[in-house]
Amino acid sequence: MVSILKRSLAVIMLLIIGYWLAQGLSGIPFGQDKMLVGKYYLDNVIRQTGAINAVTAVVVNYRGFDTLGEVTVLFIASTGVGALLWAKRRERTAKTEGSIVLKTGIRLLTPFVILFGAYIFIHGHLTPGGGFPGGATIATAFLLLYMAYTMYEIPRRAFENTEGVAGMSYVIVALIGLAIGGYFLFDWIWQTWHFGVNNVGRILSGGFIPVIYTIIGIKVGTELSGIIDNMLREEVRE
Amino acid sequence: MNVQYASLLIAIPLITAFFVPLMKGLGEKAIKTYVLIITAIQAGIATWVFEEVYTTGKPIIVMAGGWRPPVGIDLYIGPFAALFVLIVALVSFLMAVFNFRAVKVEPIDKYAMLFLLLMLGATGMIATGDIFNLFVFMEITAITAYALTAYNKTGEAAEASLKYMVLGGIGSSFFLIGVALIYGATGTLNMAQIAQLAGNINPTVAQVALALVIFGLAVEAELFPLNAWAPDAYQAAPHPVTAMFSAFVVKAGIYALARILYLMSAVGTWKNILHLLIAMATLTVIVAEFSALRQRNVKRMIAYSSVSQVGLIGLAFALGTQAGVDAGVFQMINHAIIKVLLFLGVGYVAVQLGGAEIENFRGLGKRMPLTALGVTVGSMSAVGIPLFNIFWSKLRIILATVDAGYAWAAALVLGASVVEAVYYFRLVHAIWFTGEGERLRESAPLVAIMLLLIAIIVAIGIYPNYAWSLSQKAGNDIFNVAQYIKNVPLMGVGA
Repeated sequence: MVSILKRSLAVIMLLIIGYWLAQGLSGIPFGQDKMLVGKYYLDNVIRQTGAINAVTAVVVNYRGFDTLGEVTVLFIASTGVGALLWAKRRERTAKTEGSIVLKTGIRLLTPFVILFGAYIFIHGHLTPGGGFPGGATIATAFLLLYMAYTMYEIPRRAFENTEGVAGMSYVIVALIGLAIGGYFLFDWIWQTWHFGVNNVGRILSGGFIPVIYTIIGIKVGTELSGIIDNMLREEVRE
Repeated sequence: MNVQYASLLIAIPLITAFFVPLMKGLGEKAIKTYVLIITAIQAGIATWVFEEVYTTGKPIIVMAGGWRPPVGIDLYIGPFAALFVLIVALVSFLMAVFNFRAVKVEPIDKYAMLFLLLMLGATGMIATGDIFNLFVFMEITAITAYALTAYNKTGEAAEASLKYMVLGGIGSSFFLIGVALIYGATGTLNMAQIAQLAGNINPTVAQVALALVIFGLAVEAELFPLNAWAPDAYQAAPHPVTAMFSAFVVKAGIYALARILYLMSAVGTWKNILHLLIAMATLTVIVAEFSALRQRNVKRMIAYSSVSQVGLIGLAFALGTQAGVDAGVFQMINHAIIKVLLFLGVGYVAVQLGGAEIENFRGLGKRMPLTALGVTVGSMSAVGIPLFNIFWSKLRIILATVDAGYAWAAALVLGASVVEAVYYFRLVHAIWFTGEGERLRESAPLVAIMLLLIAIIVAIGIYPNYAWSLSQKAGNDIFNVAQYIKNVPLMGVGA
C-alpha cells in the first residue's frame, strides 16, 4: 500500500513540476529572432575569425574559454577514472579472441578510422565536426583493437604523456595570444599575422582554430582511449 | 602591468595540471612539492590581483580572446572575486602542505592533478562574468570533487561519491535548463547584460528560470533539501580535500547563487524567490545542527556544522539587503578560516591516531596539546564566543535578519546556535578533561599553520574592522548591480 501511495505522490509531484516548467517555457519566444549575440556572430564571423563554419568559430574563438573548460572537464573525467580504478597491477581478462572476420576487418580498418578522425578535426573550421568528434573517432579505432585482440593494450605511458602535452599546448597557444595580442586566447594567427586571409574556405585559414582543434583531437583521442583501457583491465592480486 | 595577465589565475593551474603526467616517475615527494610550489605561485598572482583591485578600486575585466562582452567571455574580478580568489589560493597552499602528511593513497599524480583542478574550478566560478562559463567551471569543480571524494577507494567513499554524483548531476541539469531559459528570454549569456535586461523578462519565465538555477546551485551550496551528500562526502574525502570543500568549494557555489540572485533583482517576482531561499537556508541551519548533535565521528560532526554555517550565509544573502550581503561575505571569510583550522586539526588527529572518532579525542590535550589548542579555538569560534571572529559575523547576520523583518528566522537560527554550542563543548570537554596519554611529537609545519590561523581568528575577533571593511566592499560588489553593469564594457549588440 505504501508503495502505491508513494508512487502516486511522486506522479503528482512530477505533474506539478511539469506544469510549472511548461508555464515557464511557454513564456519564451522560441523561433523568433531574439538571439542578440547570434546575429553578431553571423554578420562578422568570416572577417573576424576566418572560419566559414560559424559554429566552430563560436566554439573555439569567440567562446574559446568555455571550450578550454570543456577540455578540462574531459581531462578530469579520464584522470578520475584513472585514480579510482588504480591498482598496483592490472591485466586484461578478456577470454575469447575475436573471430577471424573481426580481426582481419579491424586490422584493415584501424588506419582508416584514425585517418578519418584526423580529417574531421583538421577540417573543423570548414565542415561540421571538430576536435571532439574527431578525437572520439580516433578512440573508436583503439576500442576496435581491444575488441578484436584479447592481448592488445595501448602504449599507456605514451598516451598519458601525449594527453598532458596536448593540454599544455592548448594553454600555450592561449598564452602566446596573451603575449602577442594582450589577451588570453587571442587569435594571433589570424588577427596579428593575418595568415590565410586570401585563403578563406580552404584548409589553411581560420586562424588558430585548426591548430586548437588538432590539439583537442589528439587530446580527446588519447583521453577516451585511456578511459577504455582503464575500464577493460582488472586488478590482479598477487 | 597589463591587467589581462590576471588570466594567469586560470592558465597556471591548468597548464601545471596538464604537466603532471610527465613527471609520473619522480615519486611522491617530488609531486607533492610541485603542487606546493604551484599553489604558492597561484597565491602570488592572486595577491597581485588583490592589490591591484583594492588599490585602484576598479575591477579587472579579463576579456578572453580580446572579444568584448557579450560577444566573448569575460572574467569579472571585482572586490569580491579578488578577495576570494586569494582565499582559494591561500587555502590550497596550506592544504598542499598538509598533503605531505595526510595523503598516502596511490596514485599521487592523479591526486595532484585533481587537487590543482579543484582550485582552478573554484577560482573560475568566482571570477567568471558569463553565466554559461559559470556552468563550465561548476562542472570542473563538481567532477573533480566527485573524483576526490572517492579517492580513498573505501566502500564509504564510493557510496558518498555516488550520492554526490547523482545529486550533483541533477543539480547541474537543473542549472543548465535554467540558463537555457534565461538565454531564451534575453538572448545573451553575459551576466551584466542579463542584469540589464532582467526587468523585461516575463515574470513567470524569470521565476521559473531563477528557481531552476537556484535549485541547481543549491546542491553545490549545500542548502536543504539538496545537501544529503555533504556529510558523507566530507567524511570520506582525504582530509586536505575536506578542508578545501568547506573553505571554498561550497563558498563558490553559494557565491554563484547570490550573484545570479542579485543580478536578477529587477525581476517582478523576485521577492518570492527570496522567501523560498530564506526557508531553505533556515531549514539548512536547523536540520544540520540537530544532525551534528548525534554524531560520534568528529569529522562528520564538523561537516554538519559546516553545512549549518553555510546555511547561515545563505540566509544572509537571501535577505535582499545590503547589510545582509555584507554580513554574509564576512561570515564567508571567517568560516573559511575556522573550517580550515578545524579540518586540519581533526584530519591531523585522524592521521596520527587512526581515525576521527570522538574516542580518539579523549586526552588529546595531553597527547597533542597544540593540535588540541587549534581544534579548541576553532570550536569556540564556531560557536560564536566573543573575542573570536565568528562572533562578529554571526552578530551581523542576526542583526541584519531582524532588520529585514525576519525575526522568526533570527530566533530559529539563534536557537540552533545553542545546539551547536552543546556539541562543540562536548568535544572540547573530551579533549581537555577526559582521558590520559603520552605526549606525541607534532609536525612543525602543521603546528605553525594552526598557530597562524589561531592568530588570525583572534586578531579578527579583537579588531574586526579591517575584515569588516573588506567584506563591505566585497558585499557591495554583489549587491550593487547597477555598478556591476557599468563596470563591464558591454558592446552595443542588440539591447
